[in-house]
This record gives sequence, C-alpha cells and structure tokens, in this order.
Amino acid sequence: MADVLKVSGLNKRFGGIVVADNIDLALAKGRVLGLIGPNGAGKTSFFNLVCGVVKPDSGSITLVGQEINGLPIRERARMGLARTWQNLRLFSSLSVLDNLMLGPRAYSADNLLDVVFRPGHVADSERESRERAFAVLERTGLAGIAHQPIRDITFGQQKLVGVARALMNDAQCLLLDEPMAGVEGQAYALIQKVVRDIAASGVAICVVEHNVAFIRDLCDEGVFMFAGKVLARGTVETLIADPQLTELYFGT
Amino acid sequence: MDYVYTILILIGLFVILASSFDLVIGHCGLISIAHPIFYAIGAYVSAMLAKEGGMPIPLAMLAGGAAAFAASVLVALPSLRVSGDYLLIASIGFQLGLIEFAKHIHSIGGAGGLTNIPPFLVNTYGRVSYVLLVLAIALLTVLFVRWLTRGPYGRMMAAMRDDELAFSMLGRNAIWVKVSIFAIGSGIAGIAGGLYAHYFRFLEPDQFGLLQSSAILTMVVVGGMRTTLGPVIGAIVLQILPQAITFFGLPPSILGPLQGLMFSGLVLVFMFARPQGLLAAPDIWAGRDSKERRDG
Repeated sequence: MADVLKVSGLNKRFGGIVVADNIDLALAKGRVLGLIGPNGAGKTSFFNLVCGVVKPDSGSITLVGQEINGLPIRERARMGLARTWQNLRLFSSLSVLDNLMLGPRAYSADNLLDVVFRPGHVADSERESRERAFAVLERTGLAGIAHQPIRDITFGQQKLVGVARALMNDAQCLLLDEPMAGVEGQAYALIQKVVRDIAASGVAICVVEHNVAFIRDLCDEGVFMFAGKVLARGTVETLIADPQLTELYFGT
Repeated sequence: MDYVYTILILIGLFVILASSFDLVIGHCGLISIAHPIFYAIGAYVSAMLAKEGGMPIPLAMLAGGAAAFAASVLVALPSLRVSGDYLLIASIGFQLGLIEFAKHIHSIGGAGGLTNIPPFLVNTYGRVSYVLLVLAIALLTVLFVRWLTRGPYGRMMAAMRDDELAFSMLGRNAIWVKVSIFAIGSGIAGIAGGLYAHYFRFLEPDQFGLLQSSAILTMVVVGGMRTTLGPVIGAIVLQILPQAITFFGLPPSILGPLQGLMFSGLVLVFMFARPQGLLAAPDIWAGRDSKERRDG
C-alpha cells in the first residue's frame, strides 16, 4: 500500500526532554492510525513536527514522496496536509461557514492583486468555496448552524467544525488531535462516521486520542508511544492486551 | 472663510490618515504607530518632485504615495519575518531616525523646513476646489477600507487576528497579508502627504513626530477601531477640539502642551471607560455578502 506520509529518523529534544526519539512512521492511503500513549509521550509533538510548528533536530518527513521538512507551515498545507488542534484554534470572530471558507488549499483572496483587479475571478472562487463548504457542512451535520458564531455553538459542534475546516483542504493526509475528547452522544457518532468516510475516500489519517474505545472503534492500527519513542505498532487489541504497555500507560 | 477651508482640509486629511491607520492597526492588528512618517515621505517626495523636478503635481502626489508604499515594505518585511512585535520597534526607529536625518539634509530644507512648494488648484480654481479634492479622496479612502475589510481579504484579516497559527495551517500566508496591508495603509498616508504639501506649501520634519502619531492613534481609538465611521468621527472631533480651545485665549505656552495632553488624556480615558470607542465594532466579522447568504 502507498505511503502518503513517511517519517524517518525524526529527532527533537527541548533541553533534557526528548519529544521525538528516532521516530520512523508511515501513514498509508485510506488507513486510520491511532497514536496511543500517556501524557508527555510526544504524540502532539509528533503532529507539530510533521506540520512544521516545531522544527526537528534531524530526520526526514516526506508527503507523497516529497520532502517537506524545512518548508513553512503554509506550504505543507498547500501540498495536502491538514490537521485539527487539541485546543481547537477556531476563528472565534468568524461564523462556522467563514471558518470553513478559509480552508481550501487555494483561497479566493490569497492574491491581493486579484481582489483589486480581478473581482469577478475572486467572486467565482468565493462561490465555489461556499458550495464546497456547504457540502462539508452537510456531511458533518453542521449545515443548520452555518451562520452561527463559534462561541454560540456547543463544544461537540466546535470539535466538528475543527474537523470540517480541515476537510476543506481536500488533504491527502489528515492529522486529528484528540477529536473525541469531551464529546459525547450524537457528535461522537458523527465524528466517528465522518473519519471512517474520509479514510474510505483514500485519505491517510492519524489520530491522537485518549479514549481507548474510540481508538478501537476507529483505527485500523495503533502505535504506542512513550518518551518520544515508538515502542510498538499493531492492532489496537494487541496493544491494549500487552501488559507492559498498559503498565507504561497507567504508570506504576 | 479661508480658516474654515483650512480646517475642512485638515479634517479631510486626518480622515484619510485615521481610516488608513485603522486598516493597519485595527483590521490587520499590526502594532505600529509610525503612520506619520509615511505621510511625511509622501509629502516630501511629492513636494520635491514638483518643485525641483517640475513634475505635474497629480503625478508627483501619486509618486509620493508610491514612495511611502515602497518604504513601508522595506520596514515591514524584515521586521515581520522576525516577529510581529518587532514592527513597533522597527517602525518607530525608522520614524524618529528619518526625521533626524531629514533635519540635516539641506536640499530638502533641513530642520528649518521646505518652503515654496508649488501650489495646486488653489490659484486657478480657488480654495473650495482643493477642499472638494481632499474630501473626495477622504471619502474614497473610507469606502475602499470598508470594501476591502468586508470582502474575502477582511475575512483573512479577522482570522489572522484570532489565531495566526491555525491560519497558517490552512495554507494562508500571514506575512504576505501583513506586509500588503501595511503597505496599502502607508501608501494611502503618502497620498495624504502630497495633498498636505501642495496646500500648506511648507513642510518641516518635526511635525511628523510622535505627537502626530498619538493624534492619529487617538482618532482611531476614540472614534472606534474597525468601524467605518469611527475614524471619521475621531478625526473630526480631534481636529475641532484643539481649534476650539484656541478660542479660550490661553497663552501659547499653555496651549501647546494642553493640546498634547488632550490627546494622550483622551486615549487613557477611553481605554478605561469605553475601550471600544464612540462607535463599537461588532464582535463577529460580517462580510458584505453575509446578509444575502443568510437570506438565500
């Protein structure tokens, strides 16, 4: 199976704290990989390294065969890498729809000269994005609150908006940082279904999640991380069943 | 009557300055108070091109705007690449440094000032024509800022103010947005500078210092950041107030400092009592098409 994202020999330390210790990891097309591990294992740091939020000390990161290590965050996004954030990072002064409208790899107004000299072109592009945004909102069950400000919607809906905004990228690789934390009921089932659907459409997905049930329901495979190291990779059942890993997870 | 025309022209010029400054500091969230130096660059470049180069005045004014635009890119690009906070330091350094530099250049009048700048319109069509020109450009500036900030570019600026990291992760270029808006705002200030130069026909470096920075900042803060009419009201109020207190017949030794105190005092009062300004901007960004979208 084709590897969409391939990380090799990735290292990063902050002073004495090692957040990535020679990580080798590949994400395959259409598969959902779960990152499991206790707090401080380096799961979110792994996302930050892949996205360019944090620069690695050494190592290589390739997206569909192209080296992206060293590129600015925005370039990686424009090559088809999208993510959500543990603390959401939604645009609080925008509506749900406007949050999504900023998400396509090419934005209507990226070029200010177009805004001033080719207003027709910009208007067409805006219309296209709006249609796509509504399609994504339908898919994520958010169409009814498209015009609501972020602060007026529930936490579960905010989580979904985070995922929906990342979907606007039409990404080849999607990183989801704790998509289920604090979510219950309808939104839970919906996020689960959406993530499965996206994977089925051929996107490589990586999920950081503390909810073991969710990881088991959702992921094709799991990776156990501890102290910046990948300790084991396998089906979620085998990882959970491993007494050594369980001990590391819950501490002694 | 000339007095009233002059006040109207000053109001128009400060509407242009406050509105373009609101684009930079309010809408784009760029912390810089060096707006007057780009006003100065526009004024001096336009004056020198017309006076020494014999360039037609409208062209000279546009060239002044272009020079301010270019200078602002040179200041903003390196400092914004380091960090957003550097812009404040770099731009104030540029402002004060350039003012000191200008004082020592004799060919542009030095500290004594540049005199005999060629007039425009007034001698042929009277002062009213110049008032109309300035007010028309003020109106265009206000409408342009409103149009730009309520369109897709405004959506980007609002998102960038909220969360720059998330903004970059969507593939958007935050530095490019900041440099573009800083340059546009500064270019507009440069045009205002040309309009100033060919009416008052005298420029001196010191008038573009921190006192003017605080005056423009006060107009935006008092009027209301990120509102269409806020900077307009701020410019009118703060242009008329200093004129009004001259009628009390105070000696100049008190009048000057009193006007300076008034600006900083008003900012402080508003910061505590009404931080949103006289007009409050809505919390939620609304594009110009958001109403039809909701209805449609």
